[in-house]
Amino acid sequence: MSAQMERPAIHVDQSELLCKKGCGFYGNAACQGLCSKCWREENQQSRQKQIQDDWALAARLQKEEEAAYASHQGSQPQPQPQPQPQPQSHSSISPFSKFEDKKTNEKSRKVTTVKKFFSPSARMQPKKDSGHPDTPSPGSSRISAEMDRATHEFIDFLKTLQKPGREIFKQCRAFTESMAYKRDMSAEDQSECVQDFYQNLSDKLHAHYKGATERVELVMDEVEKYMMNRLYEDCFCPETTDDEKKDLVIQKRIRALHWVTINMLAAPVNEEIPAVSDNVVKAITAVIEVDSKRVPREKLTCVTTCSKHIFNAIKITKNEAASADDFLPTLIYIVLKANPPRLHSNIQYITRYSNPGRLMQGEDGYYFTNLCCAVAFIEKLDGKSLNLSQEEFELYMSGQASPQKPLSPSAGGPPSGSGSAMAEQAHQSLDLLTGLGARQEKVLEGARRLERDLIDWCDGVEHGVQDVLERFPLEGGAAAAPAPAPAPADPTAIDSDNVENDKLPAPLQPQLFAR
Amino acid sequence: MAAGGAGGNNKTYSFKVVLLGEGCVGKTSLVLRYCENKFNDKHITTLQASFLTKKLNITGKRVNLAIWDTAGQERFHALGPIYYRDSNGAILVYDITDEDSFQKVKNWVKELRKMLGNEICLCIVGNKTDLEKERHVSLEEAEGYSESVGAKHYHTSAKLNKGIEELFLDLCKRMMDTAQAEERAKGNGASQSGNARRGVQIVDDDPQAATPAGGCCSSG
Repeated sequence: MSAQMERPAIHVDQSELLCKKGCGFYGNAACQGLCSKCWREENQQSRQKQIQDDWALAARLQKEEEAAYASHQGSQPQPQPQPQPQPQSHSSISPFSKFEDKKTNEKSRKVTTVKKFFSPSARMQPKKDSGHPDTPSPGSSRISAEMDRATHEFIDFLKTLQKPGREIFKQCRAFTESMAYKRDMSAEDQSECVQDFYQNLSDKLHAHYKGATERVELVMDEVEKYMMNRLYEDCFCPETTDDEKKDLVIQKRIRALHWVTINMLAAPVNEEIPAVSDNVVKAITAVIEVDSKRVPREKLTCVTTCSKHIFNAIKITKNEAASADDFLPTLIYIVLKANPPRLHSNIQYITRYSNPGRLMQGEDGYYFTNLCCAVAFIEKLDGKSLNLSQEEFELYMSGQASPQKPLSPSAGGPPSGSGSAMAEQAHQSLDLLTGLGARQEKVLEGARRLERDLIDWCDGVEHGVQDVLERFPLEGGAAAAPAPAPAPADPTAIDSDNVENDKLPAPLQPQLFAR
Repeated sequence: MAAGGAGGNNKTYSFKVVLLGEGCVGKTSLVLRYCENKFNDKHITTLQASFLTKKLNITGKRVNLAIWDTAGQERFHALGPIYYRDSNGAILVYDITDEDSFQKVKNWVKELRKMLGNEICLCIVGNKTDLEKERHVSLEEAEGYSESVGAKHYHTSAKLNKGIEELFLDLCKRMMDTAQAEERAKGNGASQSGNARRGVQIVDDDPQAATPAGGCCSSG
């Protein structure tokens, strides 16, 4: 496309626009003439090579880290500063110094930062001086502002924890950086790494806080927020998976199911009640919002918000507490209505990188499970699950027939169902807008008239003054200052004809007083 | 750690219990009666009855119970595994006046055993005992079946508030036994954190309930 824009006059042959690999799709100059798919493959290959070189280094780095963790874990619960530094320095420093010889361009910097975390001096500090964990400055410049903010928030939070805060930050940071080397691992393996890290850290925290579960969870939430904020780009819908493809499949599927009505799903929600349709809209908004968050927990919160709105809608409709029998069909309806972007990727991301406890046990986990159920249901949906015959289902799917709006029997009038209610609202807004436009036109008109009046008035005044001047030419000094001056000459001439000037007392002299 | 395992005298057990059963067998009434002590009440304060929690104190140990309701309609049957993944217990409810609902329970039992093995504590519950006169599922059959699949059988009436406390209390005790047995199986393994290691003294006097379990919950 951009090739066309660069030289619009030159005739471009169709074949030139096609992907150079000959896959039949159109190519793109930004991708060196390849289509996006071939480009990705090509790109992947070259990256693969590059990464492979780093791989050995990464693997060793990882090993050191694990060794450091292992040796650290043993001595963590009892804060004895003595035995710690030795294993650390042995296990981490000696191999690192080898790397430094190599001086692998920008990687070497990263290595040294990681090394710093494990070096005895850095490790000893938090144990010795208790109260003041000085802010470790994030060195790498490539982090975006958002990540920086997340980091600062995390540090601020950890400051409140005093001693262990620094330790937590170091571990999280080291781990996050090490993840950069694991980009080529399968998503499952990456997820396992992160989950192991969570588990490890929360075990340690449990030991440290002696079972104050809420405290530990609070810390873990912050850890998740910090880490996933930084890992989001790598971990969300990674190229190693077919998440993206599945996203499109489910999106297309939901689009194809646009004809499914709320009655087919038997969702106990009556959208004719304004409060209910209001909640339905809010639920839809919430489930769409999932995609805009970076941290698994924030995504989960959106799912929970969506669920709460659904419960509200059911409660208003049925006037009783919603059971799962009511909730699930309604959630399915909401998902069908919303067609949330990148649904599959989001679910995978949450599953892989959320705190496990939250997913398995808590309320958020329950709603998330229901969302998974809704998606599974939509994927497998057939005529039977909507109480339709197979033929009907096929007809609707192919678009040859469309089910009657079952909500219309209400009055036959236009305001039935949420769609028409929306249309109504849209119409009202439009009317309002048109009215506003007319009024603005009027205001503008008035302003223009005012402007004209002002100009006229100005002219009038000028004319008047001119007339007066012509009729009564100035006397005395006027001879010195002839015609064109409309106002009485220059200001110094005001008292030129004042003959009694001499009799006035001498002007006051400013006097200096000693300070 | 977050799940059922976390044992020790000062620790809290967390259990996930799924509620399975056909629509209209009274799952929701059962759980609302248990958690809110209300039945068909128009003034129920909770917004929803699909996810409820209950805090218990059993022989000095704290237990957090999370009860997950599941959609019972036939068309959602295939979604079962998504719901009961990682659960410690399952309550399978049938209506004593409805033979079909009992057949459904049998299906679920088969499925659960297949997917989760013996780590899950099963309770088969005949609800609506207030309608004893219209009973269609014989007591002998239900109890015989339950025994044959290693489940416990209970009779409840959400309407009359009968048998519900016992059901949940019993289930909790069984889940605690399972969790403790599992902890013992892991034993003094180094995988536990320091605190849990100190808590190994929870050697209760019923080791026969020990089902050597792999890792239904706390294993990472």
